Amino acid sequence: MKSLSSKLRPVVDALPLLLWGIFYILARLALENSALDSWLRVLIALLPIPPFIYFLAAAVSHIRSMDELERRVHLEALAVAFPLTLLLVMILGLMELAVGLSPDDWSYRHLLPYLATFYFLGLVIAWKRYK
Amino acid sequence: MKNRLRVLRAEYDWSQAELAERLGVSRQTINAVETGKYEPSLSLAFKIASLFEKQIEEIFQPDEAEVDNLQKLNANDAKF
Repeated sequence: MKSLSSKLRPVVDALPLLLWGIFYILARLALENSALDSWLRVLIALLPIPPFIYFLAAAVSHIRSMDELERRVHLEALAVAFPLTLLLVMILGLMELAVGLSPDDWSYRHLLPYLATFYFLGLVIAWKRYK
Repeated sequence: MKNRLRVLRAEYDWSQAELAERLGVSRQTINAVETGKYEPSLSLAFKIASLFEKQIEEIFQPDEAEVDNLQKLNANDAKF
C-alpha cells in the first residue's frame, strides 16, 4: 500500500504550477472585469511573476532529479513545442499584417494555452517513441 | 546497438523495477534500453556493466550494420 506521502507527491509536485495558474487567472479576471487605476492594473499584470519564478525553480529542480531518458523525453518535447510556437507566432504576425487581427480574437494572452498544448503534444510523441 | 540486458536480468531474477532501483533510473528507462529503443549514456552503461560484473562489450554490442559502417570508414581512412 502506498504511504500518504507518496500519494500526496503528485499534488506537491503540481503545487507550483497550480499556484502560478491561480495567480494568472486571478490577474486576468481582475484586469478584464474591473475599472482600476492604471498603476494598479500594471501591478496586477506583474503579480504572476513571483509564482512563476517559484514554478521555474521547481521545474528546474524536477528536471535535475530525472534520469537520462526522462530528460531526453523533455528535451524532445521542447524540440517539438518550440518550433510550433515559433510557427504560431510567425503566422499570427503575418495574419495581423494581412487582415488586421482584433486583440479580442488574437493576442499574446491567447498564446499561453497553445504553448502548454504544444509541450504536452511533444511529451506524448517523445514517450511513444521510447515505450 | 544490441544488448543482453534482458538475459542478464533474467539470470539474476530481477524485475525491471528492481534493476531500475539498483541503477537509480526509472523502469521505463530499463524497458527502453532492453527493447533497443534507447541507447544508454556511457556512465549508465558502465553502471550496468559494474552491477552485472561484466565488461561493457559483454553486454552491449554494435549491430551488424554499424560494424559494416565502421569497417567502411576505416577502409576509406586507409586509402587517404
